[in-house]
Amino acid sequence: MAKRNKLEIIKDILTIIHSNHNSIKSTPLLRQSNISTARFKDYFNELIEKKFIKEINNKNNKSISLTDKGFKFLEKYRTIISFIDEFEL
Amino acid sequence: MPPFNSQIIRNFVSPGFGTEIIYSLVIIVCSLMIYFGTKELYELSSHKGIKYFRQAFLFFAIAYFFRSFIKFILVYFSVNRILDISPRIFAPLLSQVTLLLFMYFSSMAIFYLLYSVMWKKWNGSSKKIYLFHLLAFIISASIILSRNALIYLGVNILLFIIVLFVVYTSYQNTKKKPKGHKHNLYVIYLLLSFFLILNIIDILIPEFLQIFQLFIYIASIIIFLMMLYKVLKKTGPS
Repeated sequence: MAKRNKLEIIKDILTIIHSNHNSIKSTPLLRQSNISTARFKDYFNELIEKKFIKEINNKNNKSISLTDKGFKFLEKYRTIISFIDEFEL
Repeated sequence: MPPFNSQIIRNFVSPGFGTEIIYSLVIIVCSLMIYFGTKELYELSSHKGIKYFRQAFLFFAIAYFFRSFIKFILVYFSVNRILDISPRIFAPLLSQVTLLLFMYFSSMAIFYLLYSVMWKKWNGSSKKIYLFHLLAFIISASIILSRNALIYLGVNILLFIIVLFVVYTSYQNTKKKPKGHKHNLYVIYLLLSFFLILNIIDILIPEFLQIFQLFIYIASIIIFLMMLYKVLKKTGPS
């Protein structure tokens, strides 16, 4: 399997959240993301910082959901990749 | 300042100055449409290539703004070349600063465009862009200090050689990619840089390219419109 680039990893993480009815805990998200714990933490913090995902506290549980910006990223992902490819960026 | 006489009014309303304004306006609008049209893609992806690509077109817009301002100064003082303005009046400082900014933004527009396709091959280090800023400043300063047509030509030929070298290297890398990959983009980048350099020569040594001026304008507009079309086709109306 080819090494995934940063945008692909972000897309995969967001897709996992989306396909789990927009609510998933961090442990299964880490497992399904297929990256190391250290890298996952970096990506997780970056996605929180960029407001692509948000943490929701439900009683004793913490779940992760996509924000509107996260949905927008998934919607525009193909356009972004196609643009980068078209202009050799 | 020269007296505000009928000659100046005639210069401003002449077809030549009107053409200049329309020409610059079309290119500035195209460049800004590309810059703002790709804003969302950059905000979502934070991709460095998109960032440098956008910067290139922002700098193209600024460079063409200063170009039209230089043309305005030339018409206002009724001179052919910016360095012909009499040193006894305030205008030289204004014209020299405008020329310096025009040269700096033009060079940086080209460098950003090249950097947008080469940043990955150059290890993704964003520090190299500071070298380009320095090089653009040296180019601008040498133009201001030299006041010599041969040096103007030499600097612009050097700029074009840098463009050729980078585009050729990038093209060679693309050739290694799977079949079906498009190569026409490099022709557009090359033409974009080539016509900007012709525009620079047109400002520095107007008599050199006078008979081709209209051709340069039309070709430049066509290239910018092509680029805008390609960008809008990819980004959509939003």
